Amino acid sequence: MTETAENQEAAAATIRAQGTHTPKVCEFGHVNWRGLWTLYHREVKRFFKVFTQTLAAPVVTTLLFYTIFTVALQNRVGTVGDAPFAVFLAPGLIMMTILQNSFANTSSSMMTSKIQGNIVDVLMPPISPLEMLCGFLAGGLTRGFIVGVSATIAMSFLVDFPFHNIAAILFFALTASAMLALLGMIGGIWAEKFDHMAAITNFVIVPLSFLSGTFYSIQRLPEIWQIVAQFNPFFYAIDGFRYGFIGQGDAPFWLGAMVMIGVDILLFLAVHRMLVSGYKLKS
Amino acid sequence: MVDRSDLLLGGVPVARRFGLFNWLGLATFYRREMARNFKIWKITLAAPAIRAVLFASVFGLAIDHENAVMGGLPFMTFLIPGLVTVAALERALESSAFSIVYDKMEGIFGDLAVLPLTPGELVLGFSAAAVSGSLMVAVVVWAALLPFGEALPYNPLALLFFVAIGSLMIGLFSQIAGLWARKWDYITSVQTFIFLPFVFFSGVFFSLDELPAFLLPVARANPVFYIVDGIRFSLTGQAEVSPVVGAVVCVGVAAILWVVSYRLFSIGYRMKS
Repeated sequence: MTETAENQEAAAATIRAQGTHTPKVCEFGHVNWRGLWTLYHREVKRFFKVFTQTLAAPVVTTLLFYTIFTVALQNRVGTVGDAPFAVFLAPGLIMMTILQNSFANTSSSMMTSKIQGNIVDVLMPPISPLEMLCGFLAGGLTRGFIVGVSATIAMSFLVDFPFHNIAAILFFALTASAMLALLGMIGGIWAEKFDHMAAITNFVIVPLSFLSGTFYSIQRLPEIWQIVAQFNPFFYAIDGFRYGFIGQGDAPFWLGAMVMIGVDILLFLAVHRMLVSGYKLKS
Repeated sequence: MVDRSDLLLGGVPVARRFGLFNWLGLATFYRREMARNFKIWKITLAAPAIRAVLFASVFGLAIDHENAVMGGLPFMTFLIPGLVTVAALERALESSAFSIVYDKMEGIFGDLAVLPLTPGELVLGFSAAAVSGSLMVAVVVWAALLPFGEALPYNPLALLFFVAIGSLMIGLFSQIAGLWARKWDYITSVQTFIFLPFVFFSGVFFSLDELPAFLLPVARANPVFYIVDGIRFSLTGQAEVSPVVGAVVCVGVAAILWVVSYRLFSIGYRMKS
């Protein structure tokens, strides 16, 4: 008898002696709630651990942007539509930070796991691709939500928001955060190195969020660019969110809402497909 | 080729001798730093240019009238030197600190302590890489902003001087931050909570006259103000303070930071553990 077999025999004897059963398959219903919760818990702990970087820094950056743009432009812009420039600008900046942080959360989580090789810890446990998707998505939404609320509170000391429609604010915050969290997952799955990720952030996410009407009404754009801007989902996110704050928007409310829901569904299906097929995750 | 005969005297290794500087070591170290920074040139050269163009576009689109004035200059003419400065200084800040923290995380930073390079040579190597990297970024960003109404520099020599001394200042600061940092988030904290406020309130995007009068002395105490103002003078010929005063302040601050960084490298602060 080999030594291993002897050990196994001894272990089995111990178990019999203690009266415990041999392990059996863990069963759960349609959803592995515990697995989902654990993944979500990890996702949230990940960013809370470095909260100066993930929560405090975005709020400070938003306030700095607000200050420089209002000091530089306040007297040179006057009003945008009926709103003073400062009031017009603030919701756009809050939305920008929601977008960037939701994206950063899922993409960096995915990326770090891949680089460090512990992505298997997410692929191996008994959670389905759908559950995995929901866990990551919920993490991104949580970060977007906390950053958004903190930035709004900080900003409301400087700006007198009318808060025209709270439901619209929440709806656009949520759908926009989901859109970027899903995009972050696609980016994180696709990218092989950190500089691929930095390239996506610098060349896609930042330009799209800068040019989506945070700083100006798109009516100021040349006609051809106005049409182009209307194909940019970031524009609807910022426009609808701002409508919720000040009751004034460039696009009809319902169009914005439909675009956001449509884009979210498409991205959700795309990410699900990627996770099912194991694209760039399982070799 | 290096003459290696002095290394083996009758088969027994003897200490290598250098003159005042270990030029070969310094050049190698400089090459490593440059290769590191510009291997990812899309992130270190192209991205700053895109960001500058984005800032110029949104400011341009937000402004109501063509003839908006800032600090006595047309708004865009005022803004462009500011954007060039931000890009150059950001590069200088990331140059040494990222390199140092990367090595720390990989656990190979202690290797610097056993290289045949003196602390002075290390400071010189890091600084040279930061300054030359920033000069490259400044040129690229300036060129990218040409369509926004940029003209040839008013005083190219002054421009070279102010970009170099500014990025030297921030490059030295970056070495100190890198030595102090234990993890990546130390560096991101320095960027967000120290560097950004200093740069944003230095007159990059607005003339300090726009601030409430009581803040003016505070704003003038910010050394970054003298870099921005000097670069704006070099590009447009207009400045808020005399460029000579600016140059003196910049050289003074750089000298102090040099001494601090040199001292930290000498004692091996958070380096040899």
